[in-house]
Amino acid sequence: MHDNEAVLDRSTRPALRSAEERGTRRLVVSGDWTLATLREAQAAVDGVEAPNGPAHEIDIGDMRRLDTAGALTLVGLRDGKSAAATADFSSARAEHRILLDEIARAAPASFEPPPPRAGAAVETLRRFLSAATAIGRDAVRLTMFLGETTAALGRVVARPKRFRVKAFTHQLQQTGLSAVPIIALVSFLIGGVVMQQAAFQLQKFGAETMSIDMLGILALRELGVILAAVMVAGRSASAFTAQIGTMKMREEIDAMRTLGIDPIETLVLPRVLALMIALPLLVFLADVMALAGGAVMAKLYLSLDTEMYLQRLNSAVQAKHLYVGLIKAPFAALVIGLVGCLEGLSVRGSAESVGTQVTTAVVKAIFLVLVLDAVFAIFLSAAGF
Amino acid sequence: MATPHLDDAPQHYAIRIRGLTKHFGSQLIFENLNLDVRAGEILAIAGGSGTGKSVLLRTILKLLPFEAGSVEILGSNFASLSKTERVKVERQVGVLFQDGALFSSLTVLQNVQVPMREHLKLPQKTMDALALLKIAMVGLPPNAAYKYPSELSGGMRKRAGLARALALDPRIVFLDEPTSGLDPIGAAAFDRLIRSLQRTLGLTVYMITHDLDSIFAVCDRVAVLADKHIVREGAPMDLVRDPGHPWVREYFCGERGRQIAKAS
Ligand SMILES: Nc1ncnc2c1ncn2[C@@H]1O[C@H](COP(=O)(O)OP(=O)(O)OP(=O)(O)O)[C@@H](O)[C@H]1O
Ligand SMILES: [Mg+2]
Repeated sequence: MHDNEAVLDRSTRPALRSAEERGTRRLVVSGDWTLATLREAQAAVDGVEAPNGPAHEIDIGDMRRLDTAGALTLVGLRDGKSAAATADFSSARAEHRILLDEIARAAPASFEPPPPRAGAAVETLRRFLSAATAIGRDAVRLTMFLGETTAALGRVVARPKRFRVKAFTHQLQQTGLSAVPIIALVSFLIGGVVMQQAAFQLQKFGAETMSIDMLGILALRELGVILAAVMVAGRSASAFTAQIGTMKMREEIDAMRTLGIDPIETLVLPRVLALMIALPLLVFLADVMALAGGAVMAKLYLSLDTEMYLQRLNSAVQAKHLYVGLIKAPFAALVIGLVGCLEGLSVRGSAESVGTQVTTAVVKAIFLVLVLDAVFAIFLSAAGF
Repeated sequence: MATPHLDDAPQHYAIRIRGLTKHFGSQLIFENLNLDVRAGEILAIAGGSGTGKSVLLRTILKLLPFEAGSVEILGSNFASLSKTERVKVERQVGVLFQDGALFSSLTVLQNVQVPMREHLKLPQKTMDALALLKIAMVGLPPNAAYKYPSELSGGMRKRAGLARALALDPRIVFLDEPTSGLDPIGAAAFDRLIRSLQRTLGLTVYMITHDLDSIFAVCDRVAVLADKHIVREGAPMDLVRDPGHPWVREYFCGERGRQIAKAS
């Protein structure tokens, strides 16, 4: 019935003609005036001629079907220049009259222009300034959030019963145990690749066994922690932001606050602590797997069997290299967890906002992990480790 | 379209449900449920919380699967329709969900234009005019058009949801508790709006409601959902006179029910 595709025959095609009777100029409306025939109706309105001045009456007695879109067009016709301001709809059917009145009543308010937007130049400047100060603002926010979380930790330490053990163990499983396969695989492969490249390059100097020293130190100090932290940033920071952000969007966080539940204590603390425990373990796993990947490559490329590989490794690597790598892990975990939760709490209203915050969280977390690693590298080598 | 005399011909029914049975896991929700909605009428669906009013609506709209029975909308059974025929039927159906279900990343104006964009090729100016008209018709202030759903009050979200449901001038609208969360004056205005749309556009209205005021003010018939099927069906006054089911008696013949019935 309301089909767009329906062929418009003579009786349904919206039409408009002028007529004059006993000095009264009239516009006679016929056909369907509906959403489906809106183009034709608008064309009829635009094309109507009023040779003898505006009409005093719009006769809609012959009109067939009318809906809100058609009614709006007719009201537009009456308020246009081909009809007098006082023109009335005549011989209207009762239901058409009600609809037209309803639309005429609603219509004037509906043509408000959109609220003014700032000019393009001002807008660009504003965006530039806000981007330029974003890093500073982020740093302040993150530091404040670290403070809030520490305060929550203090409260929990004072009253250990308030610690959410269940949420904590669940997060430990989600962020730690579930990440084991992917981190093991990636570290194994990268360890193998580094070993193979190093052996290949050092062969030119006849120092191919040095590649074991190199891999050992590199893997323990840098590779393991960076691989594990980046993988966890991608997996867990995004998950934290999505979980907390969705709760924020659906006003669950506000509901918690009104129920006297502290969201930092219940949502943020278990996640951050779980990550700070899980990541060092994952880093250790990554270290071992990278060295194992190296062992396989050493066998394939240098024909060194595993025992000799381990002997060489033992003499090249000291325990401090392992500690240098591991000490970074809890700090990286803290940054990843805080960024993930903070971005989740920054979600506003819309579903799109959740998506944006997740992206932001992952990018920021990875960036900060790498910055942190660089800072540690400078600091630790200056301190002689 | 409203038909003056109703007989049993299928075109006089907007919705026909026969022998509907539905489970959620092991929980039986509907058992052999039958319901007819006549074209051009305003039908209220009443029933206690959790009896399945919203589930029935979702089932009719094919958002939920069911095990047995048939559901026809505008004379066609969705199950047997091709994709394009389905779209044609869907275009004639507008839905207001219980919590509005507006798209959170679009403004109210854009929300109302979504169905127009999807189904019609109209110039942007026409769509703006139409959408703004719909927004004004449901009683939202003009500045609400440029707000996002999260910036609206609950009642305003409802109205915006109705504006979107009405965007294509559908033949059937489904309303899930349209007046809950509105102030009484706003609710009465909402009822009047539904009534005038029904009269002028020949709309069929399927309305889930707990609101006795709106049942007596605008509804032609009430169907009561209890015990996994429709236990009573009829004009509101008939149900007051002859409740026939304990829940119906309590609902219509309680203190409030009697007062409103007397007043109308
Ligand atoms: N997705 C679902 N999975 C399982 N059970 C469901 C699901 N949706 C609803 N139910 C169950 O179906 C029953 C009916 O729910 P429904 O939402 O239809 O209630 P209602 O009649 O609309 O109530 P109200 O008046 O409170 O809105 C309830 O028992 C509910 O628990
Ligand atoms: Mg419901």
